[in-house]
Amino acid sequence: MPVHILCLILLAIGLAGYFLGRRRALQVAGGNAKLLHSLPAYHGWHVALMATVPALLLLALWLIVQPIYLENRVTGHLPPEMAATPADVSLAMSDIRRLAAGLETAVDAGVLTEEEVRDPAADPAALAATLKPLGVALGTTPTPQVLAAAREYRTTAARLSVARAAAVLAVALIGLIAALRMARVDLWARNRVERAVLGLLILASSVAILTTIGIVWSMLSESLRFFQHYPMADFFFGLTWSPNFKGGSELGFLPLLWGTMYITVIALAVAVPLGLYAAIYLAEYADPRLRAWIKPMIEVIAGIPTVVYGLFALITVGPFLRDYFAQPLGLGNSGSSVLNAGIVIGILNVPFISSLADDIINAVPQSLRDGSLGLGATRSETIRKVVLPAALPGIMGAVLMAASRAIGETMIVVMGAGAAAKLSLNPLEAMTTMTVKIVGQLTGDTDFAAPETLVAFALGMTLFAITLALNVLAVWIVRKYREQYE
Amino acid sequence: MNMNDMRSVERIVNSHAAKIAAQNVQVHYGASQAIRDVSIDILDRTVTAFIGPSGCGKSTFLRCLNRMNDTIPTCRIEGLIRLDGEDIYDRRVDPVTLRAKVGMVFQKPNPFPKSIYDNVAYGPRIHGLVQGKAELDEVVEQSLRKAALWNEVKDRLSAPGTGLSGGQQQRLCIARAVATGPEVLLMDEPCSALDPIATAQVEELIDELRANFSVVIVTHSMQQAARVSQKTAFFHLGNLVEYGDTAQIFTTPQDSRTESYITGRIG
Repeated sequence: MPVHILCLILLAIGLAGYFLGRRRALQVAGGNAKLLHSLPAYHGWHVALMATVPALLLLALWLIVQPIYLENRVTGHLPPEMAATPADVSLAMSDIRRLAAGLETAVDAGVLTEEEVRDPAADPAALAATLKPLGVALGTTPTPQVLAAAREYRTTAARLSVARAAAVLAVALIGLIAALRMARVDLWARNRVERAVLGLLILASSVAILTTIGIVWSMLSESLRFFQHYPMADFFFGLTWSPNFKGGSELGFLPLLWGTMYITVIALAVAVPLGLYAAIYLAEYADPRLRAWIKPMIEVIAGIPTVVYGLFALITVGPFLRDYFAQPLGLGNSGSSVLNAGIVIGILNVPFISSLADDIINAVPQSLRDGSLGLGATRSETIRKVVLPAALPGIMGAVLMAASRAIGETMIVVMGAGAAAKLSLNPLEAMTTMTVKIVGQLTGDTDFAAPETLVAFALGMTLFAITLALNVLAVWIVRKYREQYE
Repeated sequence: MNMNDMRSVERIVNSHAAKIAAQNVQVHYGASQAIRDVSIDILDRTVTAFIGPSGCGKSTFLRCLNRMNDTIPTCRIEGLIRLDGEDIYDRRVDPVTLRAKVGMVFQKPNPFPKSIYDNVAYGPRIHGLVQGKAELDEVVEQSLRKAALWNEVKDRLSAPGTGLSGGQQQRLCIARAVATGPEVLLMDEPCSALDPIATAQVEELIDELRANFSVVIVTHSMQQAARVSQKTAFFHLGNLVEYGDTAQIFTTPQDSRTESYITGRIG
């Protein structure tokens, strides 16, 4: 029985359990719901959960264990020369699985009968020819051993599938009956259901954490593989970035770090004053009606995809900087430049900072403003000496988050600053960042054993460490100063 | 509390000169009228209490006296309020300079998220009242002494003002207002967020402040009005019902509404 149908049946059992449980609870209370410790609906939920949760857990476990069991069983049929190394086994297994699935398709389509499939004397070449029109492409004509293994695979899988359905349904029914038998007036169904909900909440939060750990782990293991091929000191302190898939690459990360930092600093130099001043105007001076218009309009900027900003950098800001600054000043004649990408990323971050800072400034209690105004301070003095210092931790957090965004930006850098790694002070020269090189090293025809490809993971890991450090710094700053006015 | 509620009977009003003279003041918030035709003379070096039920307009009227209502866009004020004979709503009067002369202490203690020293030094600094660190130190110490807080905080002037207890915070706010060198101190229910001990301390302080300032205090507590003030004004529904010596208001009120309020029948 396919898994999705099994799940649907479980759902139906759960639904039935809900109504049965509710009715049963009312029954044991003699129709008077007030006698029950928990509302009838909680009894319903209790039965539904008891019926479905253990069954679903069993199903999940089964789905993990079954392939492992199948593989062990089937590889026993393979001749030793086909199962010499783990790589050979995994290759043979993928052939077997494909063939087994092909036979299944053929039977379902009516091209082959069950007997023809089982026939041990069947010619593998003829079988392959029969399967081909059904869209089952086998790399090579299967050997008799593989065919036998595929047959074994198919029959065992079918048997296991029946066993799986039987076991899961049995567990569901046992749970249902046990829960119905538990129904008593003083059953704390509400507390039991709430514990189950708590479990769900814990599960949800652990998924997020486990995913992060998984990401770090996969990046870390690939990075370690990279450092087996390439010396760590050359990566972290090398001044040249020139990957070459034919060998002899120099993979120094400093030019990329320099480009990343240069662009981020320019972006923040644009975004922080503009965003902060806009926020101060909106929060402290703007008429509420005007604010109701301006704030959403600024936030619209945040909704524009970054690739559109990239176009803006490519065809407007870049040529403008080249024609009016770079060429007249003799600082180069490239349309792509650090300044170009930095300015456009800065504009991208203006609504981010202004919106966050506006909320933070609004959160400063009015009583502080009144206190300052009541002492004869002007509005401007009040903002500079009372409101901004009180809002500073939050504003710092917003700025650091904007910095993380600038560091991670890729599209605008490719279109605005180019893809050439360079160590230069000239802001009108093309440079590039770590994210651009990560994409660059992983696109196209790549060999996942070459250091030129694996370097992307080391870059990713370093980037992750940098942004993590920035976020930790932001959290620390916010925490250190948070209690100031509360 | 073991305080003699009627001890104000023995007190004399120090001065008969009007510090603030209000004539026919009307205040509107949008379409609703909060203050109707209030005229009152507030005397120099005297504590004047504004009493009355919630929403009677006493706080609104208090905020007119230093133009704090200017910060509320919908608020409209008519009539004449003079400080030392000068119209404070005159076009030539800068509300900022006025507020330096007419200080304010709020209902909830609102120390700035700065050190105790910087809280008190805030006013002198923005108004350029002092030159040099020594003079500023002197002003801070004197203000904290006047607010009866010096002995409690002299060893931790650099600690944040928000770390003090509620009563200390309110006295810090009073010190902050005093440091600016005001002529009038407006207090909007300064003890409503304080416990009885802190309240007693602040009340004692108000009585001492009378030597230098004209103090106007809004309060919900009639005992407090009786304890600290020499003059009392009773507001009801935006009207100034009765204004006179505190002893007279509390013993022989002229208006039946005043009598009902102080005996607890309306409020």
